[in-house]
Amino acid sequence: MAATSTYMASTHFSMLGYWTTKGNKQLKRRNFLSVSAQQTEVEEVKVEKDEEKKEEKQEEQAMKQPRPVEPQINVKSKNMSREYGGQWLSSATRHVRIYAAYIDPETFAFDQTQMDKLTLILDPTDEFVWTDDTCTKVYSYFQELVDHYEGAPLTEYTLRLIGSDIEHYIRKLLYTGEIQYNMNAKVLNFSMGKPRVGFNYNGQMEDVNQ
Amino acid sequence: MQGRLSAWLVKHGLIHRSLGFDYQGIETLQIKPEDWHSIAVIFYVYGYNYLRSQCAYDVAPGGLLASVYHLTRIEDGVDQPEEVCIKVFASRRNPRIPSVFWVWKSVDFQERESYDMLGISYDNHPRLKRILMPESWIGWPLRKDYIAPNFYEIQDAH
Repeated sequence: MAATSTYMASTHFSMLGYWTTKGNKQLKRRNFLSVSAQQTEVEEVKVEKDEEKKEEKQEEQAMKQPRPVEPQINVKSKNMSREYGGQWLSSATRHVRIYAAYIDPETFAFDQTQMDKLTLILDPTDEFVWTDDTCTKVYSYFQELVDHYEGAPLTEYTLRLIGSDIEHYIRKLLYTGEIQYNMNAKVLNFSMGKPRVGFNYNGQMEDVNQ
Repeated sequence: MQGRLSAWLVKHGLIHRSLGFDYQGIETLQIKPEDWHSIAVIFYVYGYNYLRSQCAYDVAPGGLLASVYHLTRIEDGVDQPEEVCIKVFASRRNPRIPSVFWVWKSVDFQERESYDMLGISYDNHPRLKRILMPESWIGWPLRKDYIAPNFYEIQDAH
């Protein structure tokens, strides 16, 4: 996978989630630089899932907690590239790459036989400046979408629906000023619109004369 | 207003409807989907050995789907070959039209494109599957009631 191995910056997370309807969906967020992984209490999530739904209606702003997949050791790349007849499902746009496979966050071993997991590679070309906070927002939105499309057929069309929704979400984050363009990016073509200057995001125009 | 071919079809008791002539004076006929395969064979035997084009369109919102065939009779030493245009209409709910692949082989990809864009399923077509869109695509893009999904495309890049 050239795409995953080219840029190894801190914004590389891989987020893996079970697609199947078994219910014990887990997602893992793995920072690339720090090896320590944040494990969520999976069993509690399972039990409280019904209660969560009620609570979510009450507090509307509550974000969905990403439920990561456990890290796997000894992941081998299956070496099934397209020219050897390998197939995988993916949705690849500039900032969102979703693969129905397990991708090891460190070695980038690409195991597309594990089709029950979805891996999200966020902004591999480093167009935006990401913080942990905004990453978590995107991941929780991804988890929300994965839960929403539960039971849908696992096709590229569905993956592209999810990927496009995440792209629109990233655009929304950009427009509200939560993420910024990375001015040190390799390709600086402002693919989500030119940066706007001249006003801050508090709703007030800046005073030009001062 | 009846063309030569229409008169010939009437003479042989074949059900059709004349739709007049197009701007080039080419006779246009409407044929029912259930009769279309047998009439296509009859046209081939009559001498229309060349299918110039096949296309399809959506007639109106909520209306019928049409599959159009332009046939030509190719012979030696003819500078004005006989031509005819056939339109076959199918209902939007269950659009089934017999394929003429086994009569004119060149209709293969064009019927696949009509299937891909409008969802007309051609019976007896050997490999009727999407040709332009990805195979997992949902919906028929050229139908008038098609709503494009809100897929992300790069629009603002400079």
